[in-house]
Amino acid sequence: MTRSFGRLVPREKGAAPLDLVIAVMAFLAALALGASMLAARASEGWRAGLADHVTVQILVPEQGDVNTVMANEVEAALVVLRATPGIGHAAPLSDKEMQALVEPWLGKGALVADLPLPRLIDGSIVPGAAVDMSSLAARLKQAAPDAELDDHSHWIARLSTLADSIQWSALGVLVLIAIATASTVAFATRAGLEAQHEMVALLHQMGAHALFIARAFERHYALATLGASLAGASIAATLFALAGGLEFAGIEPVPFLPPIALKLSELAWLVAVPIVATAIAWITARLSVLAAVREIY
Amino acid sequence: MRYGAGPEVLRDVTFVLESGSFTFLTGLSGAGKTTLLKLIYLGEPPSRGLITLFGHDMATARRGDFPAIRRRIGVVFQDFRLLPHLSAFDNVALPLKLAGRHEGDYEHDVEELLSWVGLGDRMHAKPATLSGGEQQRIAIARAVVARPDLLIADEPTGNVDAEIGGRLIRLFGELNRLGTTVLIATHDRALIESGRAKEMRLVDGRLVELRSAGRP
Repeated sequence: MTRSFGRLVPREKGAAPLDLVIAVMAFLAALALGASMLAARASEGWRAGLADHVTVQILVPEQGDVNTVMANEVEAALVVLRATPGIGHAAPLSDKEMQALVEPWLGKGALVADLPLPRLIDGSIVPGAAVDMSSLAARLKQAAPDAELDDHSHWIARLSTLADSIQWSALGVLVLIAIATASTVAFATRAGLEAQHEMVALLHQMGAHALFIARAFERHYALATLGASLAGASIAATLFALAGGLEFAGIEPVPFLPPIALKLSELAWLVAVPIVATAIAWITARLSVLAAVREIY
Repeated sequence: MRYGAGPEVLRDVTFVLESGSFTFLTGLSGAGKTTLLKLIYLGEPPSRGLITLFGHDMATARRGDFPAIRRRIGVVFQDFRLLPHLSAFDNVALPLKLAGRHEGDYEHDVEELLSWVGLGDRMHAKPATLSGGEQQRIAIARAVVARPDLLIADEPTGNVDAEIGGRLIRLFGELNRLGTTVLIATHDRALIESGRAKEMRLVDGRLVELRSAGRP
């Protein structure tokens, strides 16, 4: 029977707090990575939601029978919109929909129904189609003098700036946490090696090649880091999955914010956290051991 | 030889250890015995002078050649330097593992050697649970297990009784008969007188050859 050789590199006393720190940093890194993916998805959604729509507003005319004039202008605007290449669908908002829009500000009641509200036409743009908005606006004005075209460019520009800010902020947080995680892993590995200096010196004295010693240590620290970072990233992934479950069940975990559930393909990216952490521990251990051996005669 | 800016510990030391010889290195405490041994087993670089090991001039040898040269030397350190987390068996087997041998190949050899040094029933014990003498015997077994070309021992019988000490010296003698060059630093006059080995004495950092002889 072959006896298995004991673990060449022992687990140091006091390694548990370092493992915990690595697990926490991996958890935060995974959260930051998930958040940055959510931010990217949300900002893309905001942009797309506005960019593929136009709104035509028929203002209340100053002269004539308001209802007749507005109804004629709505019809004329619809004709123009439907004849425009790139506009996929165009339909006026019903009175009910209009009242629902103003309800948060004016409330319900007969008064609202009596108010002269402009008419709105919602138009959708075929994905990928380029619509000449200034030409469309001119043609609408010609057909319906009280029509105003809103292509949402103002909102898109502002939302884009906001989305970009959120995306860059999330990325910045991710980079900072990644740096902190990398530093923690490197520090933990170096601290562990410092405690094992006697052993490195003995193996060196007994004729072990520097790479043999490095391999023993890098394997030890890589496995320890893999375990800790896997635990941290798994907790983060579980939280995202839990949020997904809640949203699937119709419960909003965080009101007013976009969905915080990651898709399966996005969850898979969280695997990168333990992989990168393990690689850092591996490389740090190797470089540290090789440097330590070089310093010994 | 000096450590940093300290006083010279060894000076004008010139000698040759003939291949297959058995030599005792003696001298008062602080005479420089351990320093001399360190120079020979490549534990310290000399501050000046030349060391030639197995035909290699160590001043010009490539660093890449050092591990192979070190593996030809078995060392019994004065403070044993056992790995505390490994069992007696694994500590003894370490040089064989470093030489790339498979565990199945050396298991019998290691067990036999541990039995020879009287630790056949303690091979799974960790060093911390063993007495100083038992730790010393593990250190000796580790130094000889790979049958090195040169065996260097620093006070190898300092912590064992006369019977075990005699047995260890017979082990060194046996190894010497198989071709290993043996150099032992010791204060133990009885041990030195027990055989006809060569004795070199260090006095104030200088080497004085006292006795030339054959094997013990």
